[in-house]
Amino acid sequence: MATVTVELPSLLAPIVDGARSIALEADTLRGALDGLLERHPELGVHLFDESGGFRQHVLCFHNETMTRWMKSLEVPVGDGDVIRIHQAVSGG
Amino acid sequence: MSVTAVVGTQKGAFVLRGDADRERWTVSGPLFKGWKVTAALKTAAGKVILATASDVYGAALHQADSVDGKFTQIADGPRYEDGGPRKLEQIWRIAESGGRLWCGVAEAGLFTSDDAGASWQPVPGLNDHPTGAAWQPGAGGLCLHSLVFDPANDRRVWCGISAVGVFRSDDAGETWTPKNEGVPIIIEDESHKDVGFCVHALAPDPDDANRIWRQDHLGMFRTTDGGERWERIENGLSSGFGFPLAIDRATKTLFAVPLESDEYRVPPGGKLRVYRSRDGGDSWQACGAGLPDIGWTGVLRRAVAADQRDPGGVIFGTTSGSLHASRDLGDSWTTIEATLPRILFVEAID
Repeated sequence: MATVTVELPSLLAPIVDGARSIALEADTLRGALDGLLERHPELGVHLFDESGGFRQHVLCFHNETMTRWMKSLEVPVGDGDVIRIHQAVSGG
Repeated sequence: MSVTAVVGTQKGAFVLRGDADRERWTVSGPLFKGWKVTAALKTAAGKVILATASDVYGAALHQADSVDGKFTQIADGPRYEDGGPRKLEQIWRIAESGGRLWCGVAEAGLFTSDDAGASWQPVPGLNDHPTGAAWQPGAGGLCLHSLVFDPANDRRVWCGISAVGVFRSDDAGETWTPKNEGVPIIIEDESHKDVGFCVHALAPDPDDANRIWRQDHLGMFRTTDGGERWERIENGLSSGFGFPLAIDRATKTLFAVPLESDEYRVPPGGKLRVYRSRDGGDSWQACGAGLPDIGWTGVLRRAVAADQRDPGGVIFGTTSGSLHASRDLGDSWTTIEATLPRILFVEAID
């Protein structure tokens, strides 16, 4: 398994005791996200809606690749990969 | 007699404390900075539950031993079925009756908890109501914002949904019947003529659950038979349109804040005034001594709270973030020094 880091936005940090980044071991991107929710189930409602997908204004990047561009989350991850959660910035 | 209230805003919750004379006020917070805090409840067991929401990150419940304690998110909170058509956008109301906790949410629906809030179950009799296909949102969304319980019969419950109407259950939430006769319809469905009513707020008589007051989109109303029939009661009001409705339980004094029509949604003439009724809604009088002379703001449906002290006090917050309090049932008002975000609700908890 690879060791990856999940980076969270500051609004979600209080839900995980203030942590902005969480190290996990996983083989795939989906596995990393499943591991994140296993460790912090409270995050699930904030990241995913009832459709099972990411909320409309939640963006997830695997290194530099946005998950919306992927056909599947079953992509391999490697040591040192970073999974970033962002809020979509729409307008201003 | 001191008072503590939770003030929910667009950017967090603030804790408002008045001293024994309710003369000096302090405001602390925010709790959940950056999150909408949309509802609060102090349970009979003394826990404090807050509801948060975010346009990005959804809605959740959080619980603490006190309002100053550490809040922990309830992991198994209200949530619609995965893969289903509905999404839970916001928790509008948390209430308790007979040891059961209730949540009213948007998209409109109800959830209950029989384990002090640890887990929540949907109320299918309402959430899958036969009229559901005809439910249309108001400007504030399709939200279930009001809950009323019969203290003498815990099987009787009323709820209010914008812009659907009032429903009553006589069997502890198993089945629900629309109860809107006497109120004008606002969005008429082709087939379901018993929904399409835009209730904004409900306030029950604490001693007679058959008597409920209703601030509706299309006027102020009262029922004396548990919702079988509603009558218009606007004598003295500057406008029938408005959102909040609160009651001082000891004196049954009612408080409302009229706004000029659904097009403008500002106090008539720019004069922010609370209207009070001391005769069960038969007549209303403006009470504004001490309120700002210029008040082009709004007061949302749950942003007026009676503090249930003796003598009764009232606290309200505005969409422009000002807080105002009366310790004499509205005879005089103090503007509490605070410039908060848009105020969503005020809930007196101690």
